[in-house]
Amino acid sequence: MDSFLHLARPLGPVSVGTAPTTAPLNVVIQPQAIFSVLDHSLRRNADQERVIGTLLGTRSEDGSEVEVRSAFAVGHSEAEDQVEVDMEYHKQMLALHLKANPREVLVGWYATASELNTFSALIQNFYSGQGDGTWPHPAVHLTVSTQPGKDLETRAYISAPVGVTAERAADSAAFIPVPYELRYGEADKSGLESIANAKDAEERSATITSDIESLERAVEEVLSMIDRVSRYVESVIDEETPASTAMGQFLLNALALAPKVEPADIERDFNNHIQDVLVVSYLANTVRTQMELSTRLATAQLTLGGGEGAATGEGKGNQRGKGNQNRRQDREEARA
Amino acid sequence: MAPFTQTDQVNRLNTTAHLLQLHTMAETPASLAAVQVEALVVMKIIKHCSQTFPSTATGALVGMDVDGTLEITNTFPFPVVEVPAESHFDNAAPNPAAAAPRAKANAAYSGEMIRMLREVNTDANNVGWYTSANMGNFVNMNVIENQFYYQSQMNERTVALVHDVSRSAQGSLSLRAFRLSSKFMAGFKENKFTSEDLQKSNMRHQDIFDELPVQIHNSHLITSFIHQLQCPTTSASTELPPSLAALESSPFNKTSTLAPNLENMSLSIDPFLEKNCDLLLDSIETHNTEVNNYQYYQRVLGREQQKINNWKTKRAQENATRATLNQPLLPEDEWQRLFKLPAEPSRLESMLNTRQVDQYARQVDSFVSSSTGKMFAIKGNLLPNEVLK
Repeated sequence: MDSFLHLARPLGPVSVGTAPTTAPLNVVIQPQAIFSVLDHSLRRNADQERVIGTLLGTRSEDGSEVEVRSAFAVGHSEAEDQVEVDMEYHKQMLALHLKANPREVLVGWYATASELNTFSALIQNFYSGQGDGTWPHPAVHLTVSTQPGKDLETRAYISAPVGVTAERAADSAAFIPVPYELRYGEADKSGLESIANAKDAEERSATITSDIESLERAVEEVLSMIDRVSRYVESVIDEETPASTAMGQFLLNALALAPKVEPADIERDFNNHIQDVLVVSYLANTVRTQMELSTRLATAQLTLGGGEGAATGEGKGNQRGKGNQNRRQDREEARA
Repeated sequence: MAPFTQTDQVNRLNTTAHLLQLHTMAETPASLAAVQVEALVVMKIIKHCSQTFPSTATGALVGMDVDGTLEITNTFPFPVVEVPAESHFDNAAPNPAAAAPRAKANAAYSGEMIRMLREVNTDANNVGWYTSANMGNFVNMNVIENQFYYQSQMNERTVALVHDVSRSAQGSLSLRAFRLSSKFMAGFKENKFTSEDLQKSNMRHQDIFDELPVQIHNSHLITSFIHQLQCPTTSASTELPPSLAALESSPFNKTSTLAPNLENMSLSIDPFLEKNCDLLLDSIETHNTEVNNYQYYQRVLGREQQKINNWKTKRAQENATRATLNQPLLPEDEWQRLFKLPAEPSRLESMLNTRQVDQYARQVDSFVSSSTGKMFAIKGNLLPNEVLK
């Protein structure tokens, strides 16, 4: 974990009121933003070292936390002494994106290389500027290194103006690293799990599992965890590994979480619930069969001797449907 | 080159087989066999759907069709705009988001977006759309019309991805891909859903959708990213914690590591069952309405037929008297102008409803299979003696 010390420093010669604030802030990144960046990095042109794009997200009321929610790619080209960013594209894409996500705002930009250079400063000044930029809030710059053979390295920065003259200040910036955190919600969890299933597969793909399969995997996971813990405990007992009171206490606390319930209560609750579950399953399947029967009968008059057969069939289906409904309601009442 | 020609041949063989089966079909049937979804798309869909939950969210999918596997590589949400209901079915819910994929404004939006995406080397083909669902309640007119629009107007080889938000919250991701079957497409185009048509085409509720297997695919970068996520700095902390507080606040104790997701071990039965019962009750109600409609139609039809018969006998008698009196005969087919037979109600709605109930029942079944297992496990754990007995 990186640690940060944030120091206030005198600002460069920028006219008063135009400088973005450089107050410390926290950056929270959602996984889909990172995934977008990585996807863009894969789709870069063959001669490009790095690619850049715009970050969108939300900012907390006091501006101390920025949540990066999504990203889109922006075309750019770098040469020896000049950089070209497709600003028109950025503007159009931003407008399109905001149409579908009205709650998100521009928060900064990303690049797929860790390096910070003059061009970074130029682009940073554009993104944090007045008008189209994030002013008066600081623009977040996220670098995700995508060097083959090395770990992916993510860094977040904000910038402060620097330079002795106004001209110099336009193409330079002091990048200040800020802490960031990768955060995913409850909803993302199941998705990430499915994605993680493919991580060890040769072809990098996985099928979506059914309820029972994922339950099986979870049980196996827990069993292996218990195995590991009991191996550790055994080796402590055998005096092979040093004991730790903290660890022991922690394990004891975990064991104490097992509820103490009367056997009769368990029996009762178990029976109640298993009956609920099975009854609903039975009823659902009955309803399904009835409906299927009723539609089949309605469209199979020829073999049943004319419209009358269908009509009675319909009627029967209907009656039975109602019967189900009543029983169902009874049950609901009984439960309530 | 060899494997390619081989698959090509197999495809062609399939096509001929299919053609023989449905020799009335003019267009070549699609041979889409599977759907492969990039991790990025999965995350984006989850984000969009859970943000707008419980109301419906829809968006477009872009990607490429590679030898019968539809690779979905990117996606973007549709903006929600108020659109006038252009549905020719009156009972379609007035939900702007659910109708978004076929709204005119969004055709322009997605065209523009795809043009923009092409500039940054994204696969710029529209390959379908996605929608969110709540407990599998996605079989409705909106989905059918959207997918019909996509398959008939945009591109034959398109899919609808359905992400079930509430089912995913229970632990395992629920993402399914559907297409309308060619049989249903043909029927829907001409709105042929009277009893007679259904008898002729022999279409059942199982024939509405073709479900395609969904695979999740990761790029190399994402694979390495996930590997990095899962083992947070194993170098630092092999030494034992000095105190309980230190252990509890250490990064290893946080639940934020990616796996394992133990959400699907938790046992919450009642909310799921209640929701399913509600949905089933709704379906039963729809079914009753449809049945009543049909019965009403039959009664009216019977009455009209009775009237026509009466009129016919009356006219025949009149003509008989006229014949004896040597007067010119009155025309006998005037009843076609005088009486109007009621139109038969479409059976589409009840067919969809049956398909929906089928969906609910399957979902309950799969829930029951896992929850009974969990319940017996709990019982066995808390009452070990019981099991031994």
